[in-house]
Amino acid sequence: MLKNYIKIAVRTLLKNKLSSFINITGLSIGISTCIVILIFVRYEDSFDGYHEKAEQTYRIVQHTSLPDQTLYWNTTAYPLAEALRNDFPDINLVTQTAGPMRREFSITNEIGENQKFEEPNLLFVDPFFSKTFDVVWLSGDSETAFSDLNSVVLTEHLAQKYFGVTPANYATILGKTILLQHKDPLKVTGVIENPPGNSNQQYNMLIPYEFFKVNNPYFSANWSGNYQGTTFVVLQNTNLQKGLENKLASWKKKYLKPEDDRRISYFLQPLTEIHNETLYGSSISSYTLPSTILNTASVVALFILIIGIVNFINLLTAQSTARSKEIGVRKVLGGKRRDLIFQFIFENSLVIVLTLGISIALVGFLLQLLNANLSIINLQLTFVWQHTGLVLLIGVLTIVLAAIYPAIVLSAYKPIRALKKKVQFGKTNTFNLRKSLIVFQFVIVQLFVIGAIVVALQMNYFKNGALGFTSDAIVVTPSPEFNKLDVYRNSLLADNNIAKVSFGSGPPMAVEGFQLGTNYRLPEQSSEEALEAEMKVVDVNYLDFYGLQLLAGHNFTKNKEAFDEFIVNETFLASYGWSPEEAIGKKIQINEGPATIIGVVKDFHNNSLQHEITPCILLNWTYYQNNAFVKIKNGSSATLASIESIWKRSFTKAIFNYHFLDDSIEKEYVVERLISKGFGVFSILAICIGCLGLLGLMSFLVSRKTKEVGIRKVLGANLLQVVTFFTKEFIGLIAIAFIIAVPFVYYYINIWLEGFTHRISLAPWMFMAGGLLTLGIAVLCCSFQTVKAAHANPINALKEE
Amino acid sequence: MLLQLNNIYKWVNSGGQRVFLLKDINLNVNEGEFISVMGPSGSGKSTLLNVIGMLDGFDEGEYNFLDESVHNLKEKHRATLYKQYIGFVFQAYHLIDELTVYENLEMPLLYKKMKGTERKALVADALDRFNIVGKKDLFPTQLSGGQQQLVGIARALITNPKLILADEPTGNLNSKQGEEIMDLFKQLNQEGVTIIQVTHSEKNAAYGSRIVNLLDGRKV
Repeated sequence: MLKNYIKIAVRTLLKNKLSSFINITGLSIGISTCIVILIFVRYEDSFDGYHEKAEQTYRIVQHTSLPDQTLYWNTTAYPLAEALRNDFPDINLVTQTAGPMRREFSITNEIGENQKFEEPNLLFVDPFFSKTFDVVWLSGDSETAFSDLNSVVLTEHLAQKYFGVTPANYATILGKTILLQHKDPLKVTGVIENPPGNSNQQYNMLIPYEFFKVNNPYFSANWSGNYQGTTFVVLQNTNLQKGLENKLASWKKKYLKPEDDRRISYFLQPLTEIHNETLYGSSISSYTLPSTILNTASVVALFILIIGIVNFINLLTAQSTARSKEIGVRKVLGGKRRDLIFQFIFENSLVIVLTLGISIALVGFLLQLLNANLSIINLQLTFVWQHTGLVLLIGVLTIVLAAIYPAIVLSAYKPIRALKKKVQFGKTNTFNLRKSLIVFQFVIVQLFVIGAIVVALQMNYFKNGALGFTSDAIVVTPSPEFNKLDVYRNSLLADNNIAKVSFGSGPPMAVEGFQLGTNYRLPEQSSEEALEAEMKVVDVNYLDFYGLQLLAGHNFTKNKEAFDEFIVNETFLASYGWSPEEAIGKKIQINEGPATIIGVVKDFHNNSLQHEITPCILLNWTYYQNNAFVKIKNGSSATLASIESIWKRSFTKAIFNYHFLDDSIEKEYVVERLISKGFGVFSILAICIGCLGLLGLMSFLVSRKTKEVGIRKVLGANLLQVVTFFTKEFIGLIAIAFIIAVPFVYYYINIWLEGFTHRISLAPWMFMAGGLLTLGIAVLCCSFQTVKAAHANPINALKEE
Repeated sequence: MLLQLNNIYKWVNSGGQRVFLLKDINLNVNEGEFISVMGPSGSGKSTLLNVIGMLDGFDEGEYNFLDESVHNLKEKHRATLYKQYIGFVFQAYHLIDELTVYENLEMPLLYKKMKGTERKALVADALDRFNIVGKKDLFPTQLSGGQQQLVGIARALITNPKLILADEPTGNLNSKQGEEIMDLFKQLNQEGVTIIQVTHSEKNAAYGSRIVNLLDGRKV
């Protein structure tokens, strides 16, 4: 019997090539997209879960309470780990890291050539690091690798880059020396695997924390500042978390200054939650993706799968009326309803299994595409056997929904009606269900399409929104030696293609997580009343260079070793309720020293557009002018080459690099871009599946109504009237879907937009555009079949009966 | 007595009016009979055949089939009954296009859950008996109308039914093919199979042992 079913199934599939193709393509797009999204979600959810002690490991985070706000830090004072280790012997492990930091290296190779490198992700770690986290040693001894101050453990990536060794020869580079910052010799004591992409800690080399401590005695003993120190603890079990937090609350006064003790409190953040919690953020080398986005993505995955399944059901039930004869014959010849249900479930399951196979192949391809396109977040998605469970689950769900329902509908046909082909499209109850399914499908399609439009507009706003400063055609290079800035500037300005040059601690908007912070207060206030502000070191050209507008006062005249002048932004004034004019001449105390306000600038976006503009103090210091900003007249490679050669003549010690400010600003919106891309792709996929469904239904409808079209044409209907006859119903359904979709999309997109301080306002046209776009594509899709029908010779259509 | 219809009525309601499809039909059929049902289009021939075949219900009256009161049976039991005793032959043959001749013949046996070896033997017998061994691997669309109807009859007979119901079995065939089919029916009847056929043609009706004439749902 099974053999008979398989034969029928295969022959039916081959006979109706177009509809088989539509069925299988639609469903496999649905299934594979769903699998890919779920693999992505699981990957993003798996961050740092691979460590053996992941469950008991916590990052110590810090809350700093200021009079007007609370600051959340994922960094803590450097001496914290050692103090914890001494005072809490019952904590299994405490480890301190510093970094990741950007440093330069030089290596002398075999033939005596000196090569320079710059590495962004150098991490200082103590010997407890590799006990806390799973570090895979390929060469070297984990016990002794960090015992000597001047050691370095390289990741595979760097071992190959620096020494060109193959994995078999890692041992041969042990004992070789690299020079940190071109001066401190570090001996290679080990080679480890690159940290996996789903780790919050992206380092490419490990250097003993002792080295950092010895070379930075001030920072590493300072309990007041948050620099780049992170402390992790491993507890005996997870129940101890609250207890330890309580103990820390009373313990910290032993080390912190009284005013710090009042402000600062420590908490434990589970290691596995770091990646999905935006409050504290990730390590600089990584990123966070909030769990709300992951949940939304899972829902999206399910939706896409459901559209695919709905499609499949719709097409199957529609096409099955063509099989009513077979159903009738089988019933008359002794087939019970049970037998037919079984036959159709079996047949549909066969198609679904085939589709699953195609989907898995597609998944592999899509994952590669995703990895390549989202390289910005270092995705390493792979399809592994652990995902089999997922595939099985989706397969079973699809079979339950897409195979069983049509089987029940089909098997219910009465034999005599089935034989006379009286079970007609549009005349049975299933048609109302089919209509609802189409509406449901297009509600989801329009959710995606309208969502994609709004997200794209918001992204466009991020990209082109008024930042309050100019950001185009600006190249940023390091400026490592303060005493050579003039040389560098003058050489640059001698080039005709370079318009302006300025120096400072950073561009107006904080990019790549870099921003200097300080506390400020009036001289008569106590340090406890101090507020948090951004501190930006600039030079006299900075305001002009970035087009920052002075509201009162005047610009700096000179940078000084001991700064004495401030220019503040409007938001800063709000803390004291001053007008721009009132502020001029006021004295302000910041952590680094006192100075007088000489100017007020109009607010500019000193944070990316997701965030508020914060108080900002510009100062005329000679220190921290780490970046050169070069405004170029054209972006040709000659200009860039010219900048590079000038740079190399000006500075001798460091390594040249550059980036365009626009690019760096865009990188601030990684997650938003991810969402935008996602919406774009998913709305295209949703439309594809939806339209494949319409195409299938249409071709079916057209074949059923050939006679009616023939009669209408004989009676004088023209092309347009025939096309309208077929499409008007679908247009109505899509309109209903639009009306249902709008409130949902309005509600959810508003929630998303509210997450941004600076956002577009929703307008009716965005929704209308989405609706019309969907409608347009759908009508186009329908017309394909109907125009063909309308062109056919009516005689042929009428002869059939 | 194979079957007995007593005062059978069947109607549909159309625009508030009751339209009779069958009106007060009484019919007794004995085993071994060959009955031809005749009448103009719309006289209720096919409806009567479907009622006898239990594919369609009726609204009033009694129907006894082999001492079972069909009118008292639930649909499921009726289905069991007709599947066991009745074979159908259709004007449009109703072979399954995706199955070969062999597979079409095999299908009713599959539904009877018959063993493979038994099935093979029966199908081979049928192919032999109707002289279509050479056609067994062809699909219905590769056969002429007469050959298709031959397969249709072979399929109806393969489960060895007591009664064959044929709805205009020669309606789609040319005269020569039609004659062959009618000869076959006659031969089957002589072998003991009870046949009820619906036909338009006086000539075909003459093959039967008895003619039932219908007009507007009534026996005349």
